[in-house]
Amino acid sequence: MPAVSVDTFFACSLMVMLVLSAMAITTKLVFPSMNATSNRNLAERYKETSKYLLLNTGKPSNWGQNSQTALETFGLAKPNTDSEYDLDRDKVSRLNTENAYGLSYPDMFTSLEIPDLSFRIKIEPLFEVSTKLAGAFLSGDDTVYEFEISTDKQGAPVSAQLKIYVVAGEYLNSMSVLVTNGRISQNITLSNSVGGPALLIVLARSLYNDKIVSFDALAFAHNSSQPISRRTLLKLSPLDYSLNVSLLDSTIVLTDAHALTFSYNSTLLLTSNTTMSTTYAIPRFLDDSMTVLVVTGWNSTTFFAEWTIYPQVPVENGADLANSSTLSSIFSFTYLVTIDSSIYECTIWVGGPKE
Amino acid sequence: MRRENAGQIRILEAFFSALVIFSAFAVSSNIPVSQNVSRSSDLASIGMQALIKLDFDGSLGRYIDDGNWTGLREVLGVVLPEGTSFNLTVYNEQMVQLNSAVISNSEFGSQTVTCAEYICVSQRSAFHSYIVRLYLAMAA
Repeated sequence: MPAVSVDTFFACSLMVMLVLSAMAITTKLVFPSMNATSNRNLAERYKETSKYLLLNTGKPSNWGQNSQTALETFGLAKPNTDSEYDLDRDKVSRLNTENAYGLSYPDMFTSLEIPDLSFRIKIEPLFEVSTKLAGAFLSGDDTVYEFEISTDKQGAPVSAQLKIYVVAGEYLNSMSVLVTNGRISQNITLSNSVGGPALLIVLARSLYNDKIVSFDALAFAHNSSQPISRRTLLKLSPLDYSLNVSLLDSTIVLTDAHALTFSYNSTLLLTSNTTMSTTYAIPRFLDDSMTVLVVTGWNSTTFFAEWTIYPQVPVENGADLANSSTLSSIFSFTYLVTIDSSIYECTIWVGGPKE
Repeated sequence: MRRENAGQIRILEAFFSALVIFSAFAVSSNIPVSQNVSRSSDLASIGMQALIKLDFDGSLGRYIDDGNWTGLREVLGVVLPEGTSFNLTVYNEQMVQLNSAVISNSEFGSQTVTCAEYICVSQRSAFHSYIVRLYLAMAA
């Protein structure tokens, strides 16, 4: 090969490498700087939009309680509140698609009246409670179940007080437990004369602040087959301190309904009953943190216990921003919000179309 | 190559050079760029929200009145978002530090540190006001 061809080959290779390096450097260094001002403006606009969602009541201001009224403007704030980022229990519940009166994303998007923005909202407790059945053994006429319960925030232990409720057939019992290092092993004894499946509800409250709450629920077999999955037989929709129970099977017979909070519990009062729907009144307890609502009944010969929480958190609703190829510049904003007396974390993602 | 064609070759070279440069810009603008938006203002805002939420029912003043620095550290660790490093200092009206223990979850590294300052008034019968400085950074 002549020397001039070798020279040309190396010169071309060098040039290609230089061009590729220039492209990479341009991408990583120059474009972010070029777009910085525009990104700052975008971030500011999106942040104001996210605050608008949390600081405005929407129109009508009681759209959360009244499922019959058409939503004109979207906003989650509680009306007549003297606190910032104080959200309405029913508006938050209507973000949950499990609720029969839940809003779809098109409803929220249309009523926000900002056509060039897509958004997604997530509201969740500040820490997680996780319950696992570790084992079970017979003890005379009883069965003892061993549960491992952990309270943590992203792996870091949270000291908490627990209120544990067990529901099985007509049996309802509760106990209080202290968790100081984020993990506890708790035995629950159930008589073998009680029919199952059983439901374990764990309500947790930070040891140092009553406003920081969380919960978990676990259904387990007791003198029965494995419990059926949630929302198979009933759809529970709490709204305006009223629990609407939609029966998904005509053979279902309801027996009891309970409201369980950290400090109080009560049987729910039946207010209306039709063939496929039943309504109960939810009491307004002095403890206005999260309330677990449990409805028990029979499907032919099988006992079941269905549950939901009021307000219906954790909840996530909105545009599918992760898989969207038409959006760019997605920003997320985190807020601490209160729903009645409890504090939750709210994350809002806002994105706009590609320019 | 004949000497009279040299000018045409130079024009072609210039044309290709310009093409390469503009295509580099065109291609690189479409390569996804991760958004590196500073979260320091958001952190200060969420720090302030945390202090306001804790003070709404007087809890913040109670922790300070009681010298419950462990409780205050644990609560801040739960309330602040995941991956946030914090260090809180409580001063009285004369700017004398009151907290006898460190109220922090980790050391600050080389990250950008932001600060939220809040004036807290105790809700007990004896009037006390405190200056609370909360330093925040995203953990590396």
